[in-house]
Amino acid sequence: MLGSVPTTPKSLEDYRPVIGDERVDEIRALAQRLRGARVLNVNATAFGGGVAEILGTLIPLMNDAGLAADWQVIRGADEFFSVTKAMHNSLQGMYYDWTPEMREIWLSYNRLNADLFDEDWDFVVIHDPQPAAVPTYLRERTGGRAGKWVWRCHIDLTDAQVQVWDFLRPHVAQYDAAIFTLPDYVKEDLEGPAIYCVPPAIDPLSPKNVDLPHETVAGILRRYGVDPERPMVTQISRFDPWKDPLGVIDVYRNLKAEFPALQLVMIASMASDDPEGWDWYERTVRRAGEDWDIHILSNLNGVGNIEVNAFQRAARVVIQKSTREGFGLVVSEALWKGRPVVAGNVGGIPLQIVNGKTGFLVNSADECVEKVGALLRDPGEADRMGAHGVEFVRDNFLTTRYLRDYLNIFCQLSGAAEPVSSRLPTQRASR
Amino acid sequence: MYGTLALSHRALDDLADAAGRSTIDELRALARPIEGLRVLNLSVSAFGTGTAELLNSAVPLLTDLGLDCHWQVVRGSEDALQVNRAMYQALGGVAVSWTHEMSETWQRYAAMNAELLTEQFDVIVVHDPQPAAIHSYLAEGSAAKWVFHSHLDLSTAQDDVWMLLRSHIEQYDAAIFDAARFTREDLPLPTFIIPPAIDPNSPRNMPLPDEVVRTVMERYGLDPQRPVLCQICPCDAASRMGDAIDVWEMVRARHPELQMLIVLMTEPADPIGRGCYEDVARRANETDGLVLVSMGNELGNVELNVFQRVADVVLQRGLRKGFGLWISDALWKERACVVAPDGGLTEQVVDGETGIVARGNDEFAAAIARLLEDRELARRYGRAGRARVAERFLITRYLRDCLAVLGELHRGR
Repeated sequence: MLGSVPTTPKSLEDYRPVIGDERVDEIRALAQRLRGARVLNVNATAFGGGVAEILGTLIPLMNDAGLAADWQVIRGADEFFSVTKAMHNSLQGMYYDWTPEMREIWLSYNRLNADLFDEDWDFVVIHDPQPAAVPTYLRERTGGRAGKWVWRCHIDLTDAQVQVWDFLRPHVAQYDAAIFTLPDYVKEDLEGPAIYCVPPAIDPLSPKNVDLPHETVAGILRRYGVDPERPMVTQISRFDPWKDPLGVIDVYRNLKAEFPALQLVMIASMASDDPEGWDWYERTVRRAGEDWDIHILSNLNGVGNIEVNAFQRAARVVIQKSTREGFGLVVSEALWKGRPVVAGNVGGIPLQIVNGKTGFLVNSADECVEKVGALLRDPGEADRMGAHGVEFVRDNFLTTRYLRDYLNIFCQLSGAAEPVSSRLPTQRASR
Repeated sequence: MYGTLALSHRALDDLADAAGRSTIDELRALARPIEGLRVLNLSVSAFGTGTAELLNSAVPLLTDLGLDCHWQVVRGSEDALQVNRAMYQALGGVAVSWTHEMSETWQRYAAMNAELLTEQFDVIVVHDPQPAAIHSYLAEGSAAKWVFHSHLDLSTAQDDVWMLLRSHIEQYDAAIFDAARFTREDLPLPTFIIPPAIDPNSPRNMPLPDEVVRTVMERYGLDPQRPVLCQICPCDAASRMGDAIDVWEMVRARHPELQMLIVLMTEPADPIGRGCYEDVARRANETDGLVLVSMGNELGNVELNVFQRVADVVLQRGLRKGFGLWISDALWKERACVVAPDGGLTEQVVDGETGIVARGNDEFAAAIARLLEDRELARRYGRAGRARVAERFLITRYLRDCLAVLGELHRGR
């Protein structure tokens, strides 16, 4: 078998105070219909990245709800992972020379992983393109395959390199269902699987999002030299051209005359092997100059999840001035802290911000200045918007909603209003 | 054995133009009695340090001189690296909280590396403190002569870390230091002084075609039509980069076209270094004419070469310690240099002869303005600087010193 990833148990009941009885009961009712169903999630890595983060929450919650869920990672050597990296990037629009050798490496490792596949499941969810051809080889080997197979695509295929997508498509076409993040990401020419859209979600109980006492927040701010008594705005994102860090500083400067006490906190995650990131860090710092009310922080200063959480909570307004964005889940994280968000009208951001109600969608620097300024002028309105944001995220972007969507899809795939599987986890499905 | 570095062949004769034929002949004569001597150089890194630069030139040249000369890099991992970095700082005089665990890690890696030392050598030269303890862990002892070649100024080393290092090098046969003032009185070993040196044919110093110079200037946003003031330095508060910018702004009042180029040679790897990097980037602001280049900008030796070549004046506003050998690189290119009286800078720049030694921003600004206005003076200093480097700081002089030490060790056996 493949390597199983251990997860920390979680209890759905812990979410009851956060999401309320009605939502918990709805999930329990759905899970009842799937009781004992064996669910396998397969991806390429146990650490790092949004997919590993979401699986770390989803798997234990499925188990707590009465399913028998497991998470396994595929095996591969460096040659395989360098091919999947190229594949991943080219599916997101970068150009790669997709050679016959690369295809062969990808296929042979998928075959190898299919050979390691020795159990039957009711549902198999394959995440992202890396292991997508496993069912192709499984069918070749056994003449069929048990259970329903779902391809979960976390990446934006809009500008996928045609050659690579055409290579991948016949493998994906064999699945029973495909789940995309946004309707925009669905490939029109994908025929076969039932298509679903499930946007990502945040875990309200993770260190990144958990409630923090006021003193903790103030203490963290002071430790980084930020004055908790003075107004502050923040942007949390990588230093790269698409997040427009220089534009954020300009927005702050525009407002500094009217709000002389204003502070700006910019937080990025930096990797030492990322020259472009360093380049943009340097540009950002140089744009900031010796205005020490601009704080430029990163993991290298010890800023981790709890610190980000604190800065989001303490901000008067959270900015996400992206000019290009994937889903931009950091917007939901900020809304969950009760803060209004002013953000670029791109990618998944419009799904998360109800314009004028939980924040503002902006299309230009001027508009950004205007909206952030309006919220700084009227803290009462900012708080009201923040409160709406919390409710909006509670309804739409918490892990529990994500869990519910998966359970719904499983119910539909098994075509049952009735319980689809009353087998105990130890029983094998027939071939 | 460790990872052996495959070095490209170098012919000593190629240095005849720079160092003179008689120097080459003298070296060959010195090498003859120790032909075939098996010499192993041990260091921690293959590139990115002054030691690595030096070995990159010296090892193939000693081979060309007939020695059986090798350079190997010891093994380590992330935890060894961190301990090594702390040790390096402590030995250099930066206060470090040195724990029992760090001593253990350091010795554990030495013991592991000792097992890998399987070949026979006549002389083993240890260039960094990190592999120094290997000698203590050799199961069968060693027939070789062991030499500790310190490229650090150990005179202000932190006591506990120095005691640890000393306990492992006391049994060596000799020690070599860059300068007499870097030595320790409490190290009872035969001690030799070999100042560092530059290689005129290395990528950092070799002549470059105009096109390469132009391309590099363009890439880093330097205007070839305007004069350049350049400071190359470690990312370290003692390099006084903020003062360097102040000095530039003072000079710029009279020479508005002057550009300032600050090149950070070390990657800011710890919070202090990163704080220093943020400070200089903020001080630099987006001021027109100020170019800041850091390790993150894919900086290499050819770039450093270009930066020195295009500089009208080379500045060294401060230096924490050590030699500051890149000033010799600049002098070799006949650059006019203005330096602080720190570390080994004044051994290279003799005030009023091969450049100007200045104290305080006013003196620096006046000296730079003078060199920009009196081009003949700048040229004279540059020529005298090159002559001084030719005499004292070329790789050929370094080779001669090495051969002398190796010869003495050989005779003593």
